[in-house]
Amino acid sequence: MHNKTMKKKKVAIVSLTACEGCQVALLDLGEKFFNFLKKVELVDFHLLEEKPFPKGKIDIVFVEGNPITDEDLKILKKVRNQAKTLVVMGNCAALGGIPEMKNYQGKEKTIRYIYKNMKDIANPDIKEIDNFVKVDFTIPGCPITNDEFLKYAEILIAGKIPKIPEKPVCSECPYRGNEKCYLRRKEPCLGPIIYAGCGAICPKNELPCYGCRSFLPNLSPKGFLKTLEKMKNKEEIDNDLEIFGLKDMIK
Amino acid sequence: MKLIIPHIHKTLGGAGFFSRVSQRGEIKELRVTVLEGLRQIEGILIGRRIFETPLVISRICGICPTSHILNACAALEKALNITPSLQTDRLRRLITSAQIIQSHSAHLFFMSLSDFFNIDDDEKLVEKFSKESKAVLKLRDFGLKIIEAVGGRTVHPITPMPGGFSKVPDKQDLKKSLANYQEAHQASLLLINLFKNLEYPELKRKTVFCSSYSEKDYPYHKGEKIKIGDNIFSPDDFFSNQVEEDLKTPPTKRVTFQGKSYMLGAIARIKNNWSGLNQGAKLIVQEFQKNKQLKQEEFFENNFYNSFCQAVEILHCLEQIKEDIELLLKEKTDQPYVKYQVKPGKGLGLLEAPRGALLSYFEIGKNGRIADCSIITPTAQFLRNLEEDLKVLLPTIKDLPKDKKIRRVKTLIRAYDPCISCAVH
Repeated sequence: MHNKTMKKKKVAIVSLTACEGCQVALLDLGEKFFNFLKKVELVDFHLLEEKPFPKGKIDIVFVEGNPITDEDLKILKKVRNQAKTLVVMGNCAALGGIPEMKNYQGKEKTIRYIYKNMKDIANPDIKEIDNFVKVDFTIPGCPITNDEFLKYAEILIAGKIPKIPEKPVCSECPYRGNEKCYLRRKEPCLGPIIYAGCGAICPKNELPCYGCRSFLPNLSPKGFLKTLEKMKNKEEIDNDLEIFGLKDMIK
Repeated sequence: MKLIIPHIHKTLGGAGFFSRVSQRGEIKELRVTVLEGLRQIEGILIGRRIFETPLVISRICGICPTSHILNACAALEKALNITPSLQTDRLRRLITSAQIIQSHSAHLFFMSLSDFFNIDDDEKLVEKFSKESKAVLKLRDFGLKIIEAVGGRTVHPITPMPGGFSKVPDKQDLKKSLANYQEAHQASLLLINLFKNLEYPELKRKTVFCSSYSEKDYPYHKGEKIKIGDNIFSPDDFFSNQVEEDLKTPPTKRVTFQGKSYMLGAIARIKNNWSGLNQGAKLIVQEFQKNKQLKQEEFFENNFYNSFCQAVEILHCLEQIKEDIELLLKEKTDQPYVKYQVKPGKGLGLLEAPRGALLSYFEIGKNGRIADCSIITPTAQFLRNLEEDLKVLLPTIKDLPKDKKIRRVKTLIRAYDPCISCAVH
């Protein structure tokens, strides 16, 4: 089939409870984002349109955020039913993110700092989206790397599921192998066991990697984490792993 | 009769609207509803470490993370009893200006403007205003590039920390960002022109305005005083004694001052700090009032004009950016941050986020971890005022067809530029 005769793919960008930073990262692409939109039929993206949500099948649905309210869950299930391909976008949707930190504190305790009367406030355990629905692909990061979104979105539009290269953050880090490397300085950094693709943006800005893009597959983080415990105590390392929802992934 | 809007698109986070009006036009019930869940960021921070606070607090909001981080840093510095360098202060003002530009321009062009032309999709808006949209994207990009140069990233900046920045921006990068200044300046005038010539709906209600206050400038990156109505308070007094958080409508707190609603954001800042506003911006406001045949007080009785005020503020912030970069380029580069020892203490930060005064309070416990934390966001403060305005608006549009009524309600809600992600957090 020729390109011209091909129908544009229907794309929706949907937000559950979230900071919406991943959507803002898309807006930050500026003209590049609007050029991308010309290649698809955007059926939902609440920051830029107010049309009613479409009925029927949607080729690709991108979902950001955590299902916290009943309505969030309803939306998630509804879009899963309508989506041919469901892509989760960002650390909250993929790994539970910052909101998951409350799971480690005892969620009844956490909410009491804010509201004494907790009636009528949704306070579920925070879980990754793949606990509720089947996920076809994940765009990692907190926030997502917007150029990476474009790259993977193109592949998704072509009807394929992308594969994220299995390289560590260190492979993109300017401090790899030199004296500025956090690990060489005996400071914990998760770079070696986390997916690259962010351009090692945190180490580049003098912050160690806290792993928002998730563990690389086919490796057991446990051994590496043991090494880190020689630099900082276990409680601190555990706290580090709680920030971006990694702690509950360690079996 | 009920008027319900289940989801108001083109606002940050999920908001809706519900109202019930009697046959005689009496408002029985009216509220801005909230669709966002409670993430409990304040609760999450209790027991956490000082250095990770900026990381967590940033995630309250994807459109104004810079404001949340900087204000948390300022509060923690007070708690730790450290004073950041002059360089840090300049850099903070620089990215606060850039934050206001990027947030206002996104709101004005992509969220608010379509209301005035009854357009439901920005792809159509971009077609209709092709020249303007290109200009606004460049203007927004000007702000984003500065946040990136200083903060390392636009959404959830990386470098700000208590004591300063983990890294000082490269002077070359700052210089480079100024290269597009003229273009951004032109774009801001184009945007002002667009918003100057819109037909704003009528609204007449006396409002109490609240913002950071200074006799000598137009303060936004740190507030030393706060002005509400005719009263001036220290931020501590305002936070501890003057405002009340109503917890009856979870998951959003609704904040009141002496039991009454108040307005924040661009219109409040222009009202309260008129003398500090730059000359060019002042002239534009005066010309607007003259063209619309509005007396000063009439202008400030209609919060639809908040959008126009945002456009004016962009110009002010642009010129401030130029001044700050030129100063930074001239001055010798200082240490990126002041070192601190974690110790118990408490501190409050006040900063003007794009949507208004943000108050962030932190207490550090004996164990060196966060013991208490309270974040009062602009949207939580102005939600009640928005509802009060809507109560005045609704009877004036009772004879309009339903779709026009809905459009008008949405237009006012969007003029306030609420961020429900912030309000709930």
